[in-house]
Amino acid sequence: MSAISRIAVGALALSVAALALPAAAQTKIEFFFPVPVEGKLAREMTRLVKSYNDSQKDVEVTAVYTGGYDDTKLKAQAAAKAGKSPAVVLMSANFNVDLKLSGDIMSLEPFLKGEEATRTTFLADFWPALHANAVVDGELYAVPFHNSTPLLYYNVDHFKEAGLDPSKPPRTWAELVDAAKKLTKREGDKVERYGFSMPAGYDYLGWLMEALSMSNGGRYFNEEYGGEVYYDQPSMLGAARFVEDLIFKHKVMPQGVVEAGGVSTSFFAGKASMVLLSTGSLSFIRDSMKAPYDVAFVPRNVRNAVPIGGASLVMFNGQSEESKKAGWKFIKWLSSTETLGGWSRFTGYFAPRRSSYDTAAMKEFIAKNPDAKVALDQLPYAKPWFATYQTVAVRKALEDEIQAVMNGKKKPDQAVKDAQKKADDLMRPYVEQTALKLPQ
Amino acid sequence: MSLAGTTQAFDGIENGSAAKMQPRWRRRLRRRLFPYVLLAPSLLFLGLFTYLPVVRVVVESLHDRPHGTGAAMVSFVGFGNYSKVLADPAFRQAALNNLVYALGTLIPTLVLALAFALAVQRSNRFSAVLRTVFFLPSLVPLVAAASLFFFIFLPGVGLLDYYLAKIGITGPNWLGDSDIALWSVIGLTVWKNAGYYMLFYIAGLQNIPHDTIEAALIDGANAWQRLRYVILPALLPTTSFVVVIALINLLTSVDHVIVLTRGGPSNATNLLLYYIFQSAHENFEIGKAAAATLLSVAVLLAISLASMRIMGRGAQP
Repeated sequence: MSAISRIAVGALALSVAALALPAAAQTKIEFFFPVPVEGKLAREMTRLVKSYNDSQKDVEVTAVYTGGYDDTKLKAQAAAKAGKSPAVVLMSANFNVDLKLSGDIMSLEPFLKGEEATRTTFLADFWPALHANAVVDGELYAVPFHNSTPLLYYNVDHFKEAGLDPSKPPRTWAELVDAAKKLTKREGDKVERYGFSMPAGYDYLGWLMEALSMSNGGRYFNEEYGGEVYYDQPSMLGAARFVEDLIFKHKVMPQGVVEAGGVSTSFFAGKASMVLLSTGSLSFIRDSMKAPYDVAFVPRNVRNAVPIGGASLVMFNGQSEESKKAGWKFIKWLSSTETLGGWSRFTGYFAPRRSSYDTAAMKEFIAKNPDAKVALDQLPYAKPWFATYQTVAVRKALEDEIQAVMNGKKKPDQAVKDAQKKADDLMRPYVEQTALKLPQ
Repeated sequence: MSLAGTTQAFDGIENGSAAKMQPRWRRRLRRRLFPYVLLAPSLLFLGLFTYLPVVRVVVESLHDRPHGTGAAMVSFVGFGNYSKVLADPAFRQAALNNLVYALGTLIPTLVLALAFALAVQRSNRFSAVLRTVFFLPSLVPLVAAASLFFFIFLPGVGLLDYYLAKIGITGPNWLGDSDIALWSVIGLTVWKNAGYYMLFYIAGLQNIPHDTIEAALIDGANAWQRLRYVILPALLPTTSFVVVIALINLLTSVDHVIVLTRGGPSNATNLLLYYIFQSAHENFEIGKAAAATLLSVAVLLAISLASMRIMGRGAQP
């Protein structure tokens, strides 16, 4: 299937090339993009790129759909190794540190210099929480494109039925436990409906544990340095114990791992009353949920805080000068106030530029969709997404242990210790070359 | 050059005197070389796409390429990667999982395949329908089957739990419980493969000479005795073939693991091939991935050779 699509893309590129031969000045570039959620996003992206191609004559962009976030990273790296670096890639924002360390992506500073801009002026319009994931080692490497935070979705009917006020969703962990207990429906030993549920598959779980540990006052990782995570600290330990309690003590959350698809399906089916999911799922839930629902901030224990998720635009090393220029031009267009606003309204992700929310179209949209407003209001509490040396493996070190807690195989105290040890082992080569490399 | 040589040889045949002038060994050499010249294009591609990658994997497995530390890019580490892989608990867990997965899948698959084949070996309209029904799952691509089973296995709301609830059973968290997840994956694989191996058994059954079964009947053998002492021994070559094919298939497909669990929870469904993928593409550890690849290929080769030899010996009484 991928071979066929590659041939099709190749054939398309060839025919486009043949058609465009007379206009020699045009630069052709490739844009790799993933679609993390639903299929209609791919169509919208193709439409966007086509409208860009029609709007000007200098650059012809071929949009290549490259699967999920992980596949996109793989395909872009493979293409770069084969000497055909994609000009622009929409990349999961927490891969940027690793991609910079492996020498795959290029610094965008030269473009800023050419435009007499600085990192600070360029990023000024973007939400402050996004800056850390765009900058690696003090240089701009990525331009935020669409972003998300975790959000608490809840079933309004269930709230009324359980005697809870749907206009007052739980704001703290204590209130969450209290509401979840009232919402959970049992028949003997059997649970008919869970009060709370959250995705615990790889990738999602790490992100949500970051949210819980941050809501518990923690940081998860060192935003300034890719060699440190804080797994065995009280903030994460408390979060791990909280997860254990929800399952085994309060019995308001299903035991074991439930993937995101399972969590949203049980929310739609009325088998889970409150769920933690991404703001990126907002349109999907708006379209699929039949019962009335509402959204709220992620409940806090110590403070309100959530991590950013989402993707940014990066450029790969190994392209010609013209291709680089064309790529940057395309990035500027894709990350303009209007394009970002339109994409945000279509997907449910929030727009990374603050100015997008000053447009009339956006004001009208927010007035019509109050749930989008809640996601937006949570933004000032957002913090950077974890990105370290060996991001995926370091994240998995924690996830494997928390999954063991969720299956009742390990106690949280031991789990966070083991996770920390594994993560430290993984990051050791980097740490030894950086923070522990001292003058002889 | 060698093409020019052959035309010269033909010239030589045309005027005999010139042929005598060419030493005999040269003509023989040309005749020997000619087939290789014809084979050259396919050999070239076979080398480029099959043997060169094998050589590269061997070379990579002996080198270390630290990811983005600014250290010297490639260094020779001998068998360092192998000892690292063998010491990695995730690798050991994946190897153990693979063993459980292989045996847990292979045995039920073979039993079911044989049972199906025995049930539908006679050709009539009813058994033709049954054959199609049994064979249908193998027509579904593994990725599609896994996507279907994702919804079948959904805890609480899935199809399986829905029907189990009707008979008063609360299903476990099929893919999210680390004790059960691997068995759910095994269940899917058995469902998917049994019908395919049934085909081989049907062919095998049709090859059993009728007179041996008739002879057994006349000797008063009952159905079980006929199966145990006549049919099963006669099917041994088929079984040995199916075992090898099935084992290779089990070690080389992880599509369903990627779709359903991505090796989780806590590596409970991680298989060797997925471990290799993770080492290479998630963790940037090419050397470790190469070493793990060679280790698993070595095991695969050993199993194939052993099972072929054992079964082959058994087939000749």
